[in-house]
Amino acid sequence: MKSFRLETKSIGEQEKKLAAKELGVNPNYVELKVVEERKGLFHLNRSYTIEATVKFDVIKDSIAYLNLMLTNMEVEAFVEARQGEDRQIIFTVDTNENPLLIGKNGKTLDAIQVLIKNLLNVYTEEHYVALVDVGGYKEQRKKQLEILATKTAKDVARTKIKVRLGKMNAYERRVIHTKLAEWRDVSTESEGEEPNRYVVIKPKHK
Amino acid sequence: MAVNFEKLILDLVKPLVVHPDDLMVKKFSEDEESITIQVLVHQDDLGRVIGKGGKIANAIRTIAYAAASRIGKKINIDIDAF
Repeated sequence: MKSFRLETKSIGEQEKKLAAKELGVNPNYVELKVVEERKGLFHLNRSYTIEATVKFDVIKDSIAYLNLMLTNMEVEAFVEARQGEDRQIIFTVDTNENPLLIGKNGKTLDAIQVLIKNLLNVYTEEHYVALVDVGGYKEQRKKQLEILATKTAKDVARTKIKVRLGKMNAYERRVIHTKLAEWRDVSTESEGEEPNRYVVIKPKHK
Repeated sequence: MAVNFEKLILDLVKPLVVHPDDLMVKKFSEDEESITIQVLVHQDDLGRVIGKGGKIANAIRTIAYAAASRIGKKINIDIDAF
């Protein structure tokens, strides 16, 4: 949890704003706690040591952010979140407006994921990875990509001619690399510049 | 029912800024084809709202664009500091 200590003469909104600036978050998410109180002579010159912490629940607050966004978009949806392995936070959105939230080639879905990941990283220092899926889109896309990878790799192994796949985002390229990592007769490499990066599957032995 | 784009954008941006008092989102113009929304933030918050290489700003644009597609309009978002 992010925290910051400061010495002050009083405790109020002003201190909260100061701490928020130091922690780099919205003041509404800052909680102040007195660690030490020092009294001067005749109660003059009273001063405090305050500890400011970021009050943010990784699961609850990110679900709230997502729900607020969906309500504002007038999309009825049910959001669930759970902590996966390797600091992954997995969000599943259940709605009957899948196309709106997924977008062309998953563009809207990626945007939602970028914002959630950003939110998590603004409020925590754990470097969480947000995975957002709508109506099983990602799961299905992953399966399709794995089929594509296997099929193309078999061709490459047989013909010994390298094949260039269509442009993909980082996550999709990773699926291909991971799927073919163990293969003996092909190797994979990402080429080109974002957002037009693509994977090339090459034969290993000439 | 019409989507309130100002509120949608405001709620997406608000948790990212350090100076929520200096955050303003308002509709600049609207016609049959498009809506232009102006987002004004504190100078120190500009980087947080735009993100590295415009990553955050573009994500906000994409989401607003999806919401606006329901009423068949394009949406422009201008982000600037006071």
